[in-house]
Amino acid sequence: MLLTISDWLQSTWLSHAFISQGRWAWPMCESLHFMGLCLLIGSVGMVDLRMLGMAKGIPVAALHKLVPFGVGGYLVNVITGSLFVVGDADQYIFNDAFRIKMLFMLVAGINVLFFYSSAFQKTKLLGPDDSMPLNVKIMAGVSLTCWIVIISAGRLITFYRP
Amino acid sequence: MEALFIWIETSPLSLWVRGESGWHMAFPIIIVFHALGMGFLVGVALAINGRVLGLAPQVPLGKLRQFLPVAMLALVVNVISGILLLIGYPTKALTNPVFYIKLLCIALALWNLRWFSYSVLTNPIYDHGVLPQKTRQLATASIVLWASAIIAGRLLAYTYNQMMSI
Repeated sequence: MLLTISDWLQSTWLSHAFISQGRWAWPMCESLHFMGLCLLIGSVGMVDLRMLGMAKGIPVAALHKLVPFGVGGYLVNVITGSLFVVGDADQYIFNDAFRIKMLFMLVAGINVLFFYSSAFQKTKLLGPDDSMPLNVKIMAGVSLTCWIVIISAGRLITFYRP
Repeated sequence: MEALFIWIETSPLSLWVRGESGWHMAFPIIIVFHALGMGFLVGVALAINGRVLGLAPQVPLGKLRQFLPVAMLALVVNVISGILLLIGYPTKALTNPVFYIKLLCIALALWNLRWFSYSVLTNPIYDHGVLPQKTRQLATASIVLWASAIIAGRLLAYTYNQMMSI
């Protein structure tokens, strides 16, 4: 089944279009993928650190204004990441590092939905020097851990080529 | 120069980095630390620059200083991991002009970050409100420099002329 998916992805118009862009398309998308990662850490990661107790004096709601730029970085990475998978499907679909990365993307995604549906409204109202409730600290810790694992597993993909 | 490259490449540390002394995970693990360090160093720098450019205006600018230890730890991680990678493949990096472009971009970006941390983030008059145009231009320059360093770094895997001297 996976082989069928992999073959199908590589037979798509998008796969051919990306691969035929010449030798610099791939490295440029990798560079964009790295910049997207930096945007994500520089926004979501810093809000996580603030919620874990660092940088008191900054209201979470104020720092959270950076998050849309992290979401922008995330979207850049979804697009470039999808191009990698479509462009060279069998290198990813059968790759254990890629699978771990996807698993933690899922955990991070569930954590995000959980945070914004449960604790965010109350967190936004807290003052600049307030400590966060324990459930918020746990969600921030899960978020930061997930992104660190995702970056690590992502960087390891090239060493686990099938 | 080639004699120096050969001397480094045949050293036990270089062999260890390249995974030629039995343990193959040294190189991947060093690379992972280099990527994580990049994320936190450039991430904190981008957040400071973003705030200087007017994003998240309610964040008291000087309070962002508290994230600098994170950036400095990330810098230490990347200097150490970067030197180890250089010891693993000195010829590959040092014979490629792109490597020097990367180092130049990082040096300028760090100089820029240092200026912001000592001259802007310490000045309470900048905590709120719009910053002077020159300061905002320097924040833009910082973003361009970090982006260039990342592109140059990624291109090192594609532009080298010679991998090893031995």
